[in-house]
Amino acid sequence: MFFSRKRKDQELDEEIAAHLRMAEQDSSRQEALRDFGNVSLVKEVTREMWGWAALERFWQDIRYAFRILRKNPGYTLTAVFSLALGIGANTAIFSLIDAIMLQSLPVKNPQGLVLLGDPTAVHSVSIGSGGNERLFSYPFYKRFRQSNGVFTDLYAEGRSDQIDLKDQAEHPRARFVSDNYFSVLGVAPIAGRTFRPDDREALVISYDFWQRHFQGAGDVAGQKLTLDRRDFTIIGVAPRDFYGDVVGYATDIWLPIEVQPEANPGRDYRNQANTYWLQLMGRLKPGVSLAQASTVMNTVGKTIIKEQATAISQPAELKRIDGWKINVQAGAAGFSRIRHDYSQPLKILMCLVALVLLICCANVANLQMARAVSRGREMGLRLAIGAARPRLLRQLLTESLVLGAAGGMAALFVGYWMSRLLLRLAAQENPLPLEPHLSASALLFTAAISVLAVLAFGLAPALFATRGDVAAHLRESKTGRSTGLAQRFEKSLVALQIMLSLVLLYGSGLFIRTLQNLEQSDVGYRRENLLIAELDPWAAGYKDPQVQQLAQSLVSNLISIPGVGKVTFSENGMFSGSESGSRNLIEGFVPQAPDDNLNRSDRVGPKYFSTVGVPLIAGREIDEQDTPKSAHVVVINQAMARFYFGHRQAIGRHITDMDGKNPMTIIGIVGDAKQNGLREPAARRLYTPYTQVTEGDSLSGLRLEVRTRANDPAIQTTVLEAIHKADPTLRKPAIKWAQKLIEKELEQERLIAQLSGFFSFLALILAAIGLYGVMSYLTARRTTEVGVRMALGASRSHVVGLVLSETFAMSGAGLVAGAVCAYAVGKLTASSLYGVAAFDPLTVAVAVAIICGAALLAGWFPAQRAARVDPMVSLRAD
Amino acid sequence: MSPKKGYQNRIELLQGTLDLLILQTLQWGSQHGYGISNAIRANSKDLLQVETGSLYPALHRLERQGFVKSEWNQTEANQRAKFYKLTVAGKKQLLTERDRWSQMVTAMSGVLNAAGNEG
Repeated sequence: MFFSRKRKDQELDEEIAAHLRMAEQDSSRQEALRDFGNVSLVKEVTREMWGWAALERFWQDIRYAFRILRKNPGYTLTAVFSLALGIGANTAIFSLIDAIMLQSLPVKNPQGLVLLGDPTAVHSVSIGSGGNERLFSYPFYKRFRQSNGVFTDLYAEGRSDQIDLKDQAEHPRARFVSDNYFSVLGVAPIAGRTFRPDDREALVISYDFWQRHFQGAGDVAGQKLTLDRRDFTIIGVAPRDFYGDVVGYATDIWLPIEVQPEANPGRDYRNQANTYWLQLMGRLKPGVSLAQASTVMNTVGKTIIKEQATAISQPAELKRIDGWKINVQAGAAGFSRIRHDYSQPLKILMCLVALVLLICCANVANLQMARAVSRGREMGLRLAIGAARPRLLRQLLTESLVLGAAGGMAALFVGYWMSRLLLRLAAQENPLPLEPHLSASALLFTAAISVLAVLAFGLAPALFATRGDVAAHLRESKTGRSTGLAQRFEKSLVALQIMLSLVLLYGSGLFIRTLQNLEQSDVGYRRENLLIAELDPWAAGYKDPQVQQLAQSLVSNLISIPGVGKVTFSENGMFSGSESGSRNLIEGFVPQAPDDNLNRSDRVGPKYFSTVGVPLIAGREIDEQDTPKSAHVVVINQAMARFYFGHRQAIGRHITDMDGKNPMTIIGIVGDAKQNGLREPAARRLYTPYTQVTEGDSLSGLRLEVRTRANDPAIQTTVLEAIHKADPTLRKPAIKWAQKLIEKELEQERLIAQLSGFFSFLALILAAIGLYGVMSYLTARRTTEVGVRMALGASRSHVVGLVLSETFAMSGAGLVAGAVCAYAVGKLTASSLYGVAAFDPLTVAVAVAIICGAALLAGWFPAQRAARVDPMVSLRAD
Repeated sequence: MSPKKGYQNRIELLQGTLDLLILQTLQWGSQHGYGISNAIRANSKDLLQVETGSLYPALHRLERQGFVKSEWNQTEANQRAKFYKLTVAGKKQLLTERDRWSQMVTAMSGVLNAAGNEG
């Protein structure tokens, strides 16, 4: 095509030359030329008739753009670099949002999936009477699967306790699934087969697990895998992109629900009607709507729940089930805990990076504007000799487009790299098992924002450069002084950048203060030098009474370790991720609302309160005199005492279960302690002795609290050794400092604080570069003026002051606008803040001070350069 | 910027007419651009002057539409020039254009006469 195009061009030249030759013979050459008119214009208009002109011109413009950009490497690199940063940051955050919030499961027809219950409760198990509206029991699943009438098929899946792999330190991430799991999802194994109803000691492994442990061996199906001393047979391998249906929890192995008690020794969830741990997902029958499925779940489903709860629950609790609205929703995106945890932070980050991109665009727009002014002569000339404005406009925009495309492509690398970095930052201890790959939607997103960016930074300078006033162009570049219009544009862009930087700095300031406030918030006990070890004696075959004995003997073992102060134990403890609750009747209290009977609860060993440092307000704490045989006692916290008794005496009163049985006497009141969640005030809580477990109830966990004299890492090992010596069959406990557990609680807050800090710092640097660029440029253009001033006696410091005051005038406008926006930012993020007001004067002051510092720095060098101007030289130059 | 805009306007205004004039001129045999422009001027007794800025785009457009085709040939003065010649489609197009033109003339004179009667 380009070859024939060239020939056609030559032909046109010849055709016109022939015309002119013939015309010359009839009159003079001058006349012929005048009659003919503008030769090149005639050619151009004629060429347009060939039809391919548009494409041709675009190609030409691109080549021209490349030539221009190659000729100005400094400008090009600066522009591409800042675009790559700005767009890349957006790509990075978007690809995380895409992976966590938007993508569908890699299964057959994900749009046909419907999930039941709470999709965020992926790691929960709830044991208790009275049912649960978030999770389901296995007996419920088996009956509902048969009798629902709306699902073609329905599968169940749930969490597993920690599983040991023989001779390996790794604990595979396991999920228990019903036999139809893979068939409902429509996932075919790449080797072997999936589950059948009669499978017991069988498992399907993930592609990654297969690679990691079997190096992708072809004959893996049929091999044995020993989990917790029990042999399982590998029956199949899941496809490479299938990580299970829990987004953010890349499953290693799938086991049949039927084998749960054997795979998690000491924990039988499978056959218990009061153990709620399963999530359900199914495919609707043709013609059945989501609303119909919801109705069936909340009628048929609830009836089954009530029937099954009747055997184990008190009548008072059954009534609550009627009030439930069990959630039924589209299941395409799967279950996820991290989606719930990270959607708010990610949305905030997306807004932040959008502002960063705006600042980048302003920088590039300023560069373009400066070039538009210096190219004014070229543009003016081209306009004067008859170039069409749309043509020039297209050419300049093509140049911007090439910049944008280069920036966008570089942004893909920046984005890929940055999203991996973010993932690592997001969870330093438990990296999120997400593979942020640049998905099709992320690519599309990047392309779209690149185009938007091109328009944002390219349009105004291009319009300016090609504006109709030819005379102004020529005048302008002759004196080398930009017109008021260009200067106003540049100054308002700088003010905009300052404004956005202030908004970002203020926002990140708020998040940093929030993090600090939360870190320093009073948890109600002494978190320093407190070790917490989580044990699982049930897995080693212990029953509850033996666990109680073990706990007591471990206390006496550990207390003799040098450096250990006090030792105690509890069922849940602080920030362990598990929580208990109980419903009780309280002597002398008439409940108004259903939840008035509900209190958080914990079981604690002797001297628990004095060991962890919860202050005793009245009465006595739980100690050695409270045994299984002695009268049952309870300690309540201040929040509970206030709620039920007000100013009346609480000690000595009685608390029973909802049927008025199993009375306990209140023996003490302790301070409010936060056990889960730092933001909310401590909830009403009661503590019973670990040794006093009522008939039909059971213990759910064992944690040792060890108060040490110093924060000595070596003591962790000593404690672990002592526990191992007490019983070598015990699984190795998870041991952590309380301080670390609390810090882990603040992962999202820390992520937002760190990243918003990072992005606002980036924004500040970009804005400072912008300010520096414009100031250098403006100052350079005022050389003559400065020369005159100095010739007339202005001192150097006066000149410096002149430039700096202009810098601050520009920044000042941005700061005022930014302060107004900062208030809006505070209001918008109020729900994520803790302990800071939406408009925090201190944070504003710090942000303003930082920006003023940056502005001073940005203005200083141009000011110094201006002050070094030699009046004689500058005056002669003009 | 104004010159080009001017050309474009004139092309648009004259489009139908110019095409008709060119096709009509070519009816008598193949001709080059300069010859066409001279013929139109002569036949209109110098009333119609076709600007090159309209003529060449029109010729190239007609060629793309398939109404004329071109070839390089020698002029009477023995010079190389690009000659345009009507195609079969072009001959048909000439008839259509002529019809349209006479309809236009009838319509215009009808309107003008009516206005004259009233005045």
